[in-house]
Amino acid sequence: MRRARGGWELPIGESELSGLTKDMEEAHRETLPAMRTSAAELGERIRELGQASPPGSPGGLAQDGPVDAGRRRFLLTAGGLGAAFLLTACSSTGTDEKGLPPHDGPSEALPPRPAVDTVMYTAELRFVALSAALENQAVGAYGSILAAAGAEKFGAVPPAVSTFVTMAMAHHIDHAKAWNEALTAAGKPVVTDVPLSNQRAVTTALDRAATVDDAAKLALQLEEQAAQTYLSAVYHGKSRGGIETAATIAPVEAMHASVLRFVLGQYPVPDAFLPEDMAATPGLLTV
Amino acid sequence: MRAEHIDTRLLKERTERSRDMSGDAVRITERVLKDAAADEAAKKDVMALQTAAALEHLAVSVYRTAAGLPFIKNGTKTVAEFIATTVQQHQEHAKAFNAAAVKAGGKEQTRPDEQYGDMVRRTLSSARNPVDVIKLSASLEDMAARTFTKYVGQVRDTRVRRLFASVAPVEAQHRATLLAVQSLLASGHENLVEIPTDAPRLPAALGSAGIPDVFQATANARPMSEGAVL
Repeated sequence: MRRARGGWELPIGESELSGLTKDMEEAHRETLPAMRTSAAELGERIRELGQASPPGSPGGLAQDGPVDAGRRRFLLTAGGLGAAFLLTACSSTGTDEKGLPPHDGPSEALPPRPAVDTVMYTAELRFVALSAALENQAVGAYGSILAAAGAEKFGAVPPAVSTFVTMAMAHHIDHAKAWNEALTAAGKPVVTDVPLSNQRAVTTALDRAATVDDAAKLALQLEEQAAQTYLSAVYHGKSRGGIETAATIAPVEAMHASVLRFVLGQYPVPDAFLPEDMAATPGLLTV
Repeated sequence: MRAEHIDTRLLKERTERSRDMSGDAVRITERVLKDAAADEAAKKDVMALQTAAALEHLAVSVYRTAAGLPFIKNGTKTVAEFIATTVQQHQEHAKAFNAAAVKAGGKEQTRPDEQYGDMVRRTLSSARNPVDVIKLSASLEDMAARTFTKYVGQVRDTRVRRLFASVAPVEAQHRATLLAVQSLLASGHENLVEIPTDAPRLPAALGSAGIPDVFQATANARPMSEGAVL
């Protein structure tokens, strides 16, 4: 990544950048209409479910038997992911005697979940809001990485990493848009920030990242979490629109993870089947 | 004329019986229709699983043939290793699809996809260098990812849906890796096709070469009936 007057320029030629932009626009044209249809269908389906069941009552995702197990798993995985973020960050910056930063106790890292009657998104909409929040979290993380690289915090950033971060951030913006379109179609407010209980752990880890590898490892965890969350949603979801949306985003997050692994020196396709041990559940949402 | 006495008890009894029979008929019809719809959906699930297994067998066959080509066998070690690992993963996918098909009451699919396979084999026979093989493999992986992603929204059984949803991203990862390698080979960076690679020397284009789509496309997915076993 090279410094340019008043900002940053990609370490690639203008014609190459134009080619990449054209390709990306074509990809948008091919896939976005389908996404809008899915989002609209999902919104309609959710509206129907909302009419069929009163707020706070089980519906959509909450109707499935495995949800309880999923919630129990969340307590392990969300906490585990937060700890993993912190461990990654601490590996390069040192830790306290517990291996955790002193300000990251459970009471701060995991704010209490709001009471049922104050929950803004219910039933399957909780998953949609969670998805939008996860995408926003990734956008914010890549934005922070770009800013840190711009401030030369990481030293020289490999050109391929700069290109990847810029592209992945754009992808996540589009994914968040797709989920938010579903919320809008269901008559709910869009999620524009990161109302997730692990956000503090993520930002702390990003602040502590000292090298490109630290940042890439954090990004890899976010990509894996997103891909696995969508796999879990496909299994637990009820609406066809929601299932299809999750199914078309998960492979892209998995591809992001592959590129990050390659850059980190790891094998890019480590599993024959996408695992679910890092999947988040709607319990991670704080709204 | 004496008023004729009508036995209303019998009439009531018969009316009630008729009502019961009518209710039974509705319930039976509903159950039959529901069962028929479920049978139809289960058959579609089986066809999807068999077609998926056929695509996996095709991938295994193509990679195995490719591995024997001199420019692959004597070429970059990392490419040969990738092919070997990917073959194993496709074999696992085929096994899982077939196990699910049998569990759903269908037969195993043991043959590669014939229809799509014809085109793939023709292309493979004209491959003259590693880039040709990698391009073909990437398009094969893309087709698998498109097809399985589409099936996620079409199958009925949630376990079958989960299986497709857990395999499609892996095929997409194979494709991303192949596209990245293709980009490195095409730009003369064969020495960077290794694990671990020399990240600082990777060209800028590598960062985006592996992921051309914002959403996994599903257009032109193989039809469910293509690899069905009758």
